[in-house]
Amino acid sequence: MATRKVRYKKLSVKTPLAVLREDQIDPTEYESLTNEAQIATGVEQAEENEYHLQAVLQSAGVAADKEIPVPPPQESALNYDELYARPFSKTSTYIRFSQTVEESIGCMYDMTADDVVFLKSYNQKRHAGAQLSEDDFERIMDVFEATSELKAPYASIDQTIVPYDEMLQGLQELDKAKLMPHAKEIYEYWKSRRQALNNQPLHPTLKFERHLESDDADPYVCFRRREVRQTRKTRARDVQSAEKLKRLRKELEEGRQLVLAAHNREVLKAEMLKADRAIFELRAQLKEHKIRLGIKTDDEDLINQKRRKAPEAPAVQRPPAPAQLRIAVRPDGRSAEADLSLLSDRLAEKENELRADIEKKVQSHNEWNRDHLDLTRGPLSPVQWPRRSAGFRPAKTQYLITPPASVSSVSLDEPTPMELDKPHPLQSVFKFRGVARDEQSRENPPLYRRRIGRLNRLWIDRRGLASPPRDVDAEVLDRWKYDQSSDDEDDRPMYEVDPFDTNALRFRASIPLPPWMTNRGATPHARPPLPPPQQQPQPHPATQPQPQPQPQPQPQPQPQPQPQPQPQQQPQPQPQPSQIPPQAQAAA
Amino acid sequence: MGNNGANGEAEVGSDGPRQKGRATPDTLKVGCIALVLKDGQFRRAEILSIKETKSGRQFYCNFDNFNKRLDEWVPISRIDFDQDVEWPNPEKDKQKDAKSKKTAPVSKKSQPSKKAQKKVGKREQSVASEGQTPHPWTEFVESQTKPDGEDKANASLELGATPNVGPDEMELDEDETPASAAKKEHTQPFSREQEIEKLRTSGSMTQNPAEIARIRNISKVEFGRYVLFPWYFSPYPEAFSQEDCIYICEFCLSYYADLTSFKRHRMKCTLLHPPGNEIYRDDFVSFFEIDGRRQRTWCRNLCLLSKMFLDHKTLYYDVDPFLFYVMTSRDEKGSHIIGYFSKEKESADGYNVACILTLPQYQRKGYGRLLIQFSYELSKIEGKLGSPEKPLSDLGLLSYRQYWSENIIDLLLGYSEREEKCTIEGIASHLAMTTQDVEHTLQALKMQVYHKGEHKIVIPEKLVQQREKSRAKQRRVIDPSRIQWKPPVFTAASRTWGW
Repeated sequence: MATRKVRYKKLSVKTPLAVLREDQIDPTEYESLTNEAQIATGVEQAEENEYHLQAVLQSAGVAADKEIPVPPPQESALNYDELYARPFSKTSTYIRFSQTVEESIGCMYDMTADDVVFLKSYNQKRHAGAQLSEDDFERIMDVFEATSELKAPYASIDQTIVPYDEMLQGLQELDKAKLMPHAKEIYEYWKSRRQALNNQPLHPTLKFERHLESDDADPYVCFRRREVRQTRKTRARDVQSAEKLKRLRKELEEGRQLVLAAHNREVLKAEMLKADRAIFELRAQLKEHKIRLGIKTDDEDLINQKRRKAPEAPAVQRPPAPAQLRIAVRPDGRSAEADLSLLSDRLAEKENELRADIEKKVQSHNEWNRDHLDLTRGPLSPVQWPRRSAGFRPAKTQYLITPPASVSSVSLDEPTPMELDKPHPLQSVFKFRGVARDEQSRENPPLYRRRIGRLNRLWIDRRGLASPPRDVDAEVLDRWKYDQSSDDEDDRPMYEVDPFDTNALRFRASIPLPPWMTNRGATPHARPPLPPPQQQPQPHPATQPQPQPQPQPQPQPQPQPQPQPQPQQQPQPQPQPSQIPPQAQAAA
Repeated sequence: MGNNGANGEAEVGSDGPRQKGRATPDTLKVGCIALVLKDGQFRRAEILSIKETKSGRQFYCNFDNFNKRLDEWVPISRIDFDQDVEWPNPEKDKQKDAKSKKTAPVSKKSQPSKKAQKKVGKREQSVASEGQTPHPWTEFVESQTKPDGEDKANASLELGATPNVGPDEMELDEDETPASAAKKEHTQPFSREQEIEKLRTSGSMTQNPAEIARIRNISKVEFGRYVLFPWYFSPYPEAFSQEDCIYICEFCLSYYADLTSFKRHRMKCTLLHPPGNEIYRDDFVSFFEIDGRRQRTWCRNLCLLSKMFLDHKTLYYDVDPFLFYVMTSRDEKGSHIIGYFSKEKESADGYNVACILTLPQYQRKGYGRLLIQFSYELSKIEGKLGSPEKPLSDLGLLSYRQYWSENIIDLLLGYSEREEKCTIEGIASHLAMTTQDVEHTLQALKMQVYHKGEHKIVIPEKLVQQREKSRAKQRRVIDPSRIQWKPPVFTAASRTWGW
């Protein structure tokens, strides 16, 4: 061993250590620290010196094949498949299981070889019908053992044998008719077995503590109870306990009050029942008297009962029943034989109420859906064209001054005079030039409506806007042709469309509605196949609608269309485009 | 360690020489030390018990410096009566017995402090022990130089004082014996109470001191497809020790001395796997978590079974404060228990394993490593550093050392390739091992060095090669992603006894 020349620095667990391979460092330069610090192996000292362990430890790092010899196990000669006959199927999920051993076994008594002999001779004395099966034998024995354990836990010490009478209670739980005839005889057998075993349980059991002096030294005594560890008494803990006690006291008191209150309630209920009964009996008497005396008119005595019922019935039915119907019904119910109202009357009344209820619901539903148009393929409610286009007002644009064209504006894609000359009448609209194109558009100005939607959303509905198609190449146009669907506004973001472009809307509006929509009787007019390509200079429509009074009459509640002369196309019923923009708006 | 025996016989000395003399089969009695044939040579062995069989008298022999699991009943023909036997000194032996029984609590208690002051020089230690005991050296000499058998007989009952593995055996002996001697002395006034106290406050493992527990009581066990030959005493019902063979149900672990009863039981038993929740499954093994409180019967049965193969397991207290993690393999008959480890629901000492066992029929197949790895994976999930409860058995030490060294070497090779520095703490937290275990491993493998004023770690080349070899061999590891487990939370009430 190299002698220690310098004092080593203390090695802390936090000291960064260089990690080297053996060939990276000269072995003569370092000394191994292993001799200095002795670290516990954790094996008992006496065993640490054991021959085989030392042999392996010495060879650690040299040869890994040294082993500690142990008595080797062998294959069993018993028939495994017979003993372990139950098949096991793998579950797909992890097993979760909480049954105990006792629950998994059932009857805890297992016949011994002696029992088998006894049972055989026992059964031989009996005819086939009255024989005792092995399972039943075990069940009876199990009761005896369990009862004995319960009633005489120290049987092996004080030699008490539980008498048969006390076994009966346990036997009650078994299948009595079948087993009881055997019980007495089996008991005698059980008793003899117990006595033969010095009144020990028939199955060998573990030795548990019996709080005898000898317990501690007895290696067979196992699984002792562990005393509860004392918690340290501190002020904080005292306070905690006091709090806990206080809370407990309070909760118990609350519980007590609750019970008292419940008791009071029940007493009151009983009194009420008593009173009810008294009233009933008096009424019965009264009725008898009446019948006897032939009085038929006065039904006062039953009003009380009726009134009690009355608050109940309307409570259920009040909201739906419309006023007129109820008025009609009530006198009916009352005017009829007050206490002997006919079943048919009552049924009719109920039905009327129901009907009224339904009607009212329908009304309110209609009211609720008044300006809603369901254009989905399978609308829940029949399509009803709105009777009015509520709140739409035509907008008039306020023209902003066109800034003078500059050089830069050319590069900014502002239309130059040259461009304006081009036969692209729609282009200008699209570019927000702020200039009305022509007279036609004046006649059909854009209309706006502001409304508050669900969740207080502000909606600006537009109508009659027009924007020209953009310059798109044929491919993109083709895509429009094939991709466009009449009522699928969700598709819109897919296309490179100016968000304020009404062209797409117009195009969509031009697609004829499917026949199932137009064929509905509710609509007086079929939808025209194409919308008018409206050309309208347009200010920023969504942000700055400028509703202005329009000469055109505002169509209020009438469901009639607004025949508007369109320049190129057939006259288009106003409501239809009005339906599209809100949807489009919603998507924007 | 041959040196004990070598110089032992020369000076039997201090406690008075043992009487020696020739014996006959009839005069040989319990406590004698005789030479008994074992594995082809005569070895010193203490006679622990004598029984009469049909084939003649048999002697239960504990062989010097052999683990108790190799104890056996030998016929007269294997005992060498041509040599002197050492007669027991009745008084002395009784006294020593009592003493060594009492040793258990104290030695265990003193262990932590030992660890803390492990750098304290040997001299200081012996001085300290001299202070505690008036005659440390008589004890020392006695235990050091006594003939092996006697030494063994006493020592085997002493719980480890400062177990250590050093390169130099002599030094090791000098270091630890005074300490243990001191303990022997100063524990004398304490008695059973202290042991009880110690059992109460510490974990599950300690040796039950009674003499009877030194003798294997079950000779043969039918268990599933195998016949097992127990290694140690297990407190099965006393009547079982009369039986040639006992039968244990492979699934519910119930025990039967009567084959008829066992067969009847098998017709009724519906268990096909350990009665708990499966928390891990791969193609090869499954793990079940079982609460000792909920499954008291099953866990008691498991403890009885494992006690037959664990020397230092105690069944003194009940299973309630433990969780059991059972490893099984599946086939069409059920989930067969391979091994298990138990774990305190709340360990005051930060242990992540209380007892750990691979059943003998599955040993040497790499299952122990899976068990150990699983215990550390659970610690990782808990975010704790864990260590197995001490004492370890010889097999336990080897398994743990192997697991530790392999994992540490793997980790260090990574550091070395990246030319990074590492700390012991870093290794510990990465592997969920305690820093003591890391240091222990580094030192046992002689990897910790002092070089140019700095502590460094050197990975010996042969360990690298060995690791590569074993890596090629090693087939199976636990896949942490398949663990479906949350650390169970127990209220104070459920940890203790609630009935």
